[in-house]
Amino acid sequence: VQAREASQGAELSLVHRAAGVSGAALSGAAPSGAALSGTALPGEAVLSGTALPGEAVLSDEAVLPVLPALRGLLPGGALRRGSVVATGPWSLLCLALAAGASAAGAWCAVVGLPQFGVAAAAAAGLDPDRMLLIADPGTGWPQVVASLLDGCELVLLRPPDRPPAQVRRRIEATVRRFGGVLAVAGEWDGAQARLSITQQEWTGIGTGHGRLRARRVQVVADGRGGAAQPRSQWLWLPGPDGSVTAADQTKAARNPFWPEIRSTG
Amino acid sequence: LKPVGDAPPRVLVVWCPDWPDQGTEGARAFEQVVAAVEELCPRVEVLHPGACAIGARGPARYFGGEEVLARKIIDAVACFGFACRVGVADGMFAAQLAARGPRAEISDAALIVALGETPAFLASQPVGSLEDPELADLLPRLGIRTLGEFAMLPAIEAGNRFGAQGAVAHRLARGLDPRPLVPRPPPADLSVSVEFDPPAEQSEPVVFASKALAEQMHAGLAGRGLACVRVQAQVTCSDGQEITRLWRHDGLLSALAVAERVRWQLAGWRPARGDADERAADKRVANERTADEGAADEGGAVGGITLLRLVPDQLVRATGRQLGLWGDAVVSDRVARAALRVQAMLGHGSVVRPLLAGGRDPAEQVTPVPFGDAADPALPSGRPWPGRLPAPAPATVYPVPLSARVIDASGVAVTVTGRAFASAAPARLSADGGPWLTVTSWAGPWPVTERWWRPEGARRRARFQLVAEDGSAWLAAVQDGQWLIEASYD
Repeated sequence: VQAREASQGAELSLVHRAAGVSGAALSGAAPSGAALSGTALPGEAVLSGTALPGEAVLSDEAVLPVLPALRGLLPGGALRRGSVVATGPWSLLCLALAAGASAAGAWCAVVGLPQFGVAAAAAAGLDPDRMLLIADPGTGWPQVVASLLDGCELVLLRPPDRPPAQVRRRIEATVRRFGGVLAVAGEWDGAQARLSITQQEWTGIGTGHGRLRARRVQVVADGRGGAAQPRSQWLWLPGPDGSVTAADQTKAARNPFWPEIRSTG
Repeated sequence: LKPVGDAPPRVLVVWCPDWPDQGTEGARAFEQVVAAVEELCPRVEVLHPGACAIGARGPARYFGGEEVLARKIIDAVACFGFACRVGVADGMFAAQLAARGPRAEISDAALIVALGETPAFLASQPVGSLEDPELADLLPRLGIRTLGEFAMLPAIEAGNRFGAQGAVAHRLARGLDPRPLVPRPPPADLSVSVEFDPPAEQSEPVVFASKALAEQMHAGLAGRGLACVRVQAQVTCSDGQEITRLWRHDGLLSALAVAERVRWQLAGWRPARGDADERAADKRVANERTADEGAADEGGAVGGITLLRLVPDQLVRATGRQLGLWGDAVVSDRVARAALRVQAMLGHGSVVRPLLAGGRDPAEQVTPVPFGDAADPALPSGRPWPGRLPAPAPATVYPVPLSARVIDASGVAVTVTGRAFASAAPARLSADGGPWLTVTSWAGPWPVTERWWRPEGARRRARFQLVAEDGSAWLAAVQDGQWLIEASYD
């Protein structure tokens, strides 16, 4: 039911914005939108049955889905095509942001992250078969990013340096033109949404015993426009199997996944 | 017993004394000698770097005698700056001995054993020339010192006493070859090229020409029933600069698709070339601007292009190719185009697709495969891999482990004993020369002894998971007394 409400929110915000979406952006995004439509998330499938046909198509084309746990953090509960999202320093949060869309069929390019952990990405829900890794884009990274946005719906970028405003605006224009989403591991001044981890706590590990099992983090989101008011959410990032799920606000849920003490043999 | 088969053919062996290198480099350098010999007689068999052989009968008749032929070959090879010696005899073995054998005079580079005199020539050679250390040691102790004496033994007895090796040696000693000469066919040049005169200032005419050129190359390949795995596009500029790129072909690309790849190559080249001079730099800025505006991405090429050459690489028999009905994730045209464009800018190996593999390390669990290539995981997945790092996997896996320092509460470096006991609880951690962090929780050591049966892959590590005061979690390991950070749980 929660997912359904979140999607409904997305639907409403889209109707407001529909007039602003240019024809060029729509036609550029058409093939990938078609690829996505076959594997829409369940919540959206329910909605598209109730909404008008035209709006349903628009909802497929104008946003990329995210994991259910992250819907509350983003305006509209999804990644809006043509937007830039900054996630602070490189972390699993950046991966989790891309996981929903990748699982739904989007291609994801990872630029400038030689230390990208593919196993963690696969556990979070990204599909390694639809992933391009460009470890070292060199000095011409803005052009590399522009070329990749032409083919991939999602580009994860860690800029080698803080880009000048001019370069930044050109990349933002490219993102809008191709209707992709740029997730930046780092700071990006013009980002529509900004996520960051403010608190984190590992469980399962003691002093000399146990092991890292799961991490409970508080993610705070703010941004511009519809995303202006800060929101926060507690997440298991990652959970014990590497997936990303919502966590309780209270600290009481200390061991929701595994027995703390097990008898051994 | 009568010798089986016909009399051995006349063979001419070209031998360069003391060829320096038997490896790949030496083989490549020897190609020049082979090319020189090929100028005179096209079918050459390379024996090893430093020696090659040809059938002498035909060329000798053409040039008017074996001595004339030998002289011509020595002169031709000398033109490339190499000294060589030539031997002609019946059969490969005798010809090799003739080429290497001692000379009456230093200047006498060619030794020709006349037709029918080969058995006599061989009879005087020592048994050491068989190049079989076992026989060279054994035969003299049995009183057999020359090949002639060895050849006088009955063939069947030589086989009985010395085995298969002995039987082959006996054939050689009698002047019979164990196998006929296998010359390589003259290599066909399937590459195609076009020159631009005057040099092409714009990339468009080059791209246009490349389409016709690709059609020509495909026709040449199809005429021989071949397909190429990759195609190399080579562009030369009027100022001598050259750029070559390999493109995956697999016999699948149309002429138009090859032309498109040439276009990407030229487009990707431009920014890198701009540093050459001021004028070019100015143009580059202009080009970048147009590219980033996104309107027209192919402007004019800087400088003039004088030559375009397409070289088919890795020729295979054309068997046709059928794409899998249910393959891996199908790469859409848009994604392939984007990936190839980036490959044109950064190189083939710079765009990779990850392949999940087996292994115990986070770094081992991924095999990077350049986009467009097919490969199997380096380590097989789907096996148990006992001792594998448990889930959750770290989000950051350093390609090269960072160095680290871990100390206990008294400031002494923490060590791990051979029985996998830590000397003390880790208290503080410094990763890659960074600031000291207080360790709040830790687990380990978890010893891993891998591939001890293979010296080059053997590794002993003891792993720790460390959580620092700021909430950061690290996967550290001790190997050879050194602390390393393999990954971090960012």
